[in-house]
Amino acid sequence: MILGLDTATPATAVAVLPDDGEPVELRHEPALGERPGHAAQLLPLARRALQAADATFADVRRIGVGVGPGTFTGLRIGVATARGLAQAIGAELAPVSTLAALAYAADGDRAVLAVLDARRGEAFAAAYRAGEQLAKPVAIPPDDLAELLDPALAPWLAVGDGAIRFRDRLEPAAEVPADPSALHRVSALAVCRLAGVARPVDRAALLPDYVRAPDAVPRR
Amino acid sequence: MILAIETSCDDTCAAVVTDDGEPRSNVISSQGVHDRYGGVVPEVAARHHVALINDVVDDALRTADATLDDVTVVAVTQGPGLVGALLVGVATAKAIALARELPLAPVDHLQGHVAANFLVTDGGPFEPPFLCLVASGGHTFLARVDDHVGYTVLGATLDDAAGEAFDKGARLLGLPYPGGPALERLARDGDPEAFAFPIAAGVPGLDFSFAGLKTALLYKVRDLGEDEAHERRADLAASYQRAIVEALALRVERGLRETGLGRVAIGGGVAANGPLRERLAGLGAELHVPDRTLCTDNAAMIGSAARWVTPLHEFGDLDAYASGERGFG
Ligand SMILES: [Zn+2]
Repeated sequence: MILGLDTATPATAVAVLPDDGEPVELRHEPALGERPGHAAQLLPLARRALQAADATFADVRRIGVGVGPGTFTGLRIGVATARGLAQAIGAELAPVSTLAALAYAADGDRAVLAVLDARRGEAFAAAYRAGEQLAKPVAIPPDDLAELLDPALAPWLAVGDGAIRFRDRLEPAAEVPADPSALHRVSALAVCRLAGVARPVDRAALLPDYVRAPDAVPRR
Repeated sequence: MILAIETSCDDTCAAVVTDDGEPRSNVISSQGVHDRYGGVVPEVAARHHVALINDVVDDALRTADATLDDVTVVAVTQGPGLVGALLVGVATAKAIALARELPLAPVDHLQGHVAANFLVTDGGPFEPPFLCLVASGGHTFLARVDDHVGYTVLGATLDDAAGEAFDKGARLLGLPYPGGPALERLARDGDPEAFAFPIAAGVPGLDFSFAGLKTALLYKVRDLGEDEAHERRADLAASYQRAIVEALALRVERGLRETGLGRVAIGGGVAANGPLRERLAGLGAELHVPDRTLCTDNAAMIGSAARWVTPLHEFGDLDAYASGERGFG
């Protein structure tokens, strides 16, 4: 059984993928103006998802975790939770790029640009096609997003909360689904499926993919 | 056995404490990386915690010759502290406890400093009632401790913490961060009477104030000029340190008199300061100073405090709290 977690966006997404049987997916979306619920929601959702699959933490063989890029605190809650669970139950750990999970769910053989709102006037973005990473995750100004859309690979699809936010910079070079589309939300089930085919890593290698350096200036 | 985790600032800590309060291990991984920033950078601290905490927990269990099978409760610092840093410890503790079906004891960091005195060590436990001075880079307060579950604050700093005063003074004297130990070393070669720095004698009651002291040093360095200030660095350090020690000792002395208590304990990183220990030892009260590693931020003190915290069986939604806020009683 694979447990998948993602806390890179304001949502808290959890899924359980049994070896055989129906997958279970649960998520928490903060209300408008509300802070992300990662700290309070992640473990209760994971436990509920396991219960719904008639399982406990002891049944989890592998934990897939969205390592971002995304909000720093959210990423740390996801990674620390996954690491702690693995330490407690001896499960394998598999990091999954949050952007790759977005692209995977959007699927198809089209080129997909996964875009997340990185705040502070930037976007996190990476490009994929049929599971292959075409451009690695970067933090860039929204005005530069269009440069990632190589016309040779058209037609492009752009997904993620950043694709909604910066729709005007992406269209018409890329198709951006309507705002309510589920394709804009990170699916923990996609995290499970990607984790299922990934090679598990040592705990030491499971770290957030911050992409951005901390804002700190050394003295002198 | 209690597995305790503490990540409120820049030290990544885990410890194993027996149900009777004996610390079996107390692992502290100091990040060091903040030195070049001249202070703790919250985002840098949080990044290091997430990379280090599980190994520190493993190390604490191994050193205690224990495994998770021996653990009956997981304790964790809930606050106050840097929220991003606290959340790493809280997420880790919750995950371990939930997956192992163990209860979780959320601990207040400041109660932890007080509870360091209750650990069964060579010199302890030091049992209530006593007066407790906690002085570090993040907090400075004087409290009356009547039992194991809490304390009554009698006075607290109105501005900088005592450890912060050491750090800022050290910085003005061109010493590296963290400033306390460096300033104490330099002060050994200086005359503590060379300069008269303020000890906030005018602040009434048992409150502390260190902002004026820092400013006084700034002006003194300016008045002396760069060359002389450099030449008399040791005198400046010794006099500055004396002012901090006197300011702390003055309140402790008043506190002892006002409460009628004849026993005093100190905690926090500043408790490691030699002249402070000597000065307080001279007050005529019974003085308890836990080992250095139990005074600075550590997880054994969190495990100690957890002995008097009712552990939670439903804690999935537990969050961390920052300075000033309290998540629980
Ligand atoms: Zn402290």
